[in-house]
Amino acid sequence: MSTDTLAAGGLTCPAPATDVDRIQLGHGSGGKMSAALLRDRFLPHLGNPTLAQLGDAAVLAVGGASLALSTDTFVVHPLEFPGGNIGDLAVNGTLNDLAMMGARPQALSAGFVLEEGLPFDVLDRVVRAMGRAARTAGVIVATGDTKVVERGKADGLYVNTSGIGLVSAEFRPAPDQARPGDVVLVSGPLGRHGIAVLAARGGIDFEVDLESDSAYLGPLVERLREALGPDVHTLRDPTRGGLASTLNEIAAASDVGIALREGTIPIPEAVAGACEMLGFDPLYVANEGVLAAFVPAARAGDALAALRSHPLGQHAAVIGRVVADHRGMVVLETGIGGTRIVDLLPGDQLPRIC
Amino acid sequence: MCLGIPGKIVERHDDRGLPMGVVDFGGVRRDVCLAYVADEVQVGDYAIVHVGFAISKVDEEEARRTYQALREMSRLDELDWMKDVADRAEAT
Amino acid sequence: MKYLNEYRDPVLARRLIEQIRREATRPWVLMEVCGGQTHTIVRQGLDALLEGAVEMVHGPGCPVCVTPLEQIDRALALAARPDVVFTSFGDMLRVPGSECDLHQIRARGGNVRIVYSPLDAVELARRTPDRHVVFFAVGFETTAPANAMAVWRARELGLDNFSVLVSHVTVPPAMTAILESSDNRVQGFLAAGHVCTVMGWTEYEPIAARYRVPIVVTGFEPLDLLEGMLLAVRQLEQGRHEVENQYVRSVRRDGNQPAQELISQVFELVDRSWRGIGAIPRSGLGLREEFARYDAERRFALDGIRTVEPAECRAGDVLRGVLKPMDCPAFGRLCTPEHPLGAPMVSSEGACAAYYNYGRFRASLPV
Repeated sequence: MSTDTLAAGGLTCPAPATDVDRIQLGHGSGGKMSAALLRDRFLPHLGNPTLAQLGDAAVLAVGGASLALSTDTFVVHPLEFPGGNIGDLAVNGTLNDLAMMGARPQALSAGFVLEEGLPFDVLDRVVRAMGRAARTAGVIVATGDTKVVERGKADGLYVNTSGIGLVSAEFRPAPDQARPGDVVLVSGPLGRHGIAVLAARGGIDFEVDLESDSAYLGPLVERLREALGPDVHTLRDPTRGGLASTLNEIAAASDVGIALREGTIPIPEAVAGACEMLGFDPLYVANEGVLAAFVPAARAGDALAALRSHPLGQHAAVIGRVVADHRGMVVLETGIGGTRIVDLLPGDQLPRIC
Repeated sequence: MCLGIPGKIVERHDDRGLPMGVVDFGGVRRDVCLAYVADEVQVGDYAIVHVGFAISKVDEEEARRTYQALREMSRLDELDWMKDVADRAEAT
Repeated sequence: MKYLNEYRDPVLARRLIEQIRREATRPWVLMEVCGGQTHTIVRQGLDALLEGAVEMVHGPGCPVCVTPLEQIDRALALAARPDVVFTSFGDMLRVPGSECDLHQIRARGGNVRIVYSPLDAVELARRTPDRHVVFFAVGFETTAPANAMAVWRARELGLDNFSVLVSHVTVPPAMTAILESSDNRVQGFLAAGHVCTVMGWTEYEPIAARYRVPIVVTGFEPLDLLEGMLLAVRQLEQGRHEVENQYVRSVRRDGNQPAQELISQVFELVDRSWRGIGAIPRSGLGLREEFARYDAERRFALDGIRTVEPAECRAGDVLRGVLKPMDCPAFGRLCTPEHPLGAPMVSSEGACAAYYNYGRFRASLPV
């Protein structure tokens, strides 16, 4: 971004300081900087119609079948946290990306970057968790790779997983399929993963009785599929950047507005308490075991029943609706009767004093 | 400057002469310096905490009185918003 | 959460809004000084809901926004030093200096860390004796007791590798400066509840008397702000100009004595420059001479800092409440949270950021 001064009327402001010529942490937060990074530095060289959809997974026609392909890299720190470890995220995360596109996952690959000095027992716990998560989902880790780097790199362990799944023509939820008149549902309470990991990280030093909600959401998707079929317009799991970022992406992709209702969004007290302390908004905190679903208003009851019929969805709730106004924007209707915009953040949420 | 939230003091201890405590914010617990409220508070009291320091003890009597006064101001008939919530709850 | 959620009760909030509308016989102009209060007002859309009865003008209540550019540049210079671990509250990280911000310093290899409490910075210094830890001590009077304790504690522990870069400002002189300015429209103030928790409200009594303005010490939740506004409106309707306390659950007239004592032992009143407003005499806090070795400005030679501050900047007008953010020509175009031109767009509770993030397209929203 170049320094611009406004010549008109002799107006100038303090010189802007945003000559961004290198990667910053904010580029990884799932907000505006991440979106700009994709748009400006990746799509120009890699661009093709499939990639341009920027869905959770790509759907490809391969020899008569429709395959979904997804990849995700996991760099979470610390490696282990209440409720799981990086291995759980690595399997569930990629499988969920496939499931959100309506795919039935078949197999995963796993690529590891291991730091010199990583204790074997930590590695064992991670890989054991991956095996367990894969078996639970009925999926095999079909191929993998390992590399070792010097002490000081890779933060212990980085892992990439890619997954393939089978897609059928009758069940193709996608980010651009949300329609005015749809309602928005979430399958469970928000913010557990982000806060649990932040507490475990130790930088801010607080204790909380929260566990990561990392889980494979396939069974929830199956129930929705059985009950609603093609009426499931859009599915997305709000991971980094939280629900707010996910809903903004969908509003942009579908060219619709989304209106949320404060008070209907399920947030556990401990998440709310941690967010109050740090000055965070729970809508931007990461989740690993929650999905957002868009279905026609008339099917809301069926969708809720389907989600609530499974333990992972027992706290499912309707939290908003899709409208034809303020396209591309997400707004929140407060209990008092005001409205405010829920925008993408530029980068990460930072603890604040004000 | 401003982000001070109320929490419950669940523990007190001393850190090399500095009065400290553990404060619970709706299930989240953090070490908090109690130096500025040391003579006023005991375990079970609430305090306003800003950047890891308790800056006041919550006066629970005043808090209750304020809230009561506010409630007395309001009438008991339903507002449109509340009716809306009820309608939606029924629909789901 | 107890003592928090009750003050967000939407039914009572709507009642208070109706009551304010009933009692205000004409539109009154009120100013809240504290950024946290600005945040709540814009986030809940209270200003829109009170249109016609109360106009809220947002004051310079964001210590991040009013930190002078030179001080930001000093912070960046310190953070860039290989021998320094620069610690700060999260708020400061994206504030632009003359050339870059702390995020970019970190990207270029500077050791920059966010802390939640100043004591965390002291602890870091204690644990890493081979690095020098600098803490960016920014804030109003609310944060002064914490920053004072950090310096006090460092001395008690005999630390030699800890210092603070001070940018503390105090509220009453800013309020006076606003009331003295020729284009002032503010008729009543909501004083900052946590500043007054520390300092009490005696400093505001002479201001209320001299300028004949009601000053209501107010909390931060929607019901607090609405009750504060109601009390201010009532005073204005009745021609009174007193200091009143809405935030009774936390504030007493004399404030927190132990906190005030330590502040005065560690700090002294100094002249301070407020970004966008200019110099206000005796409006800031600086470290006393006996704590000089904990003053980063005196420990480190910070010469050769060239601060590029233009002659005119609209951020100042916004901070004094004479310009609404969306009336600034740069708002939403050249100046957005991703590429901010000034601090009020960067800080999460600067007026510009609050308007941008919460109310940008208010005109087009269904109400």
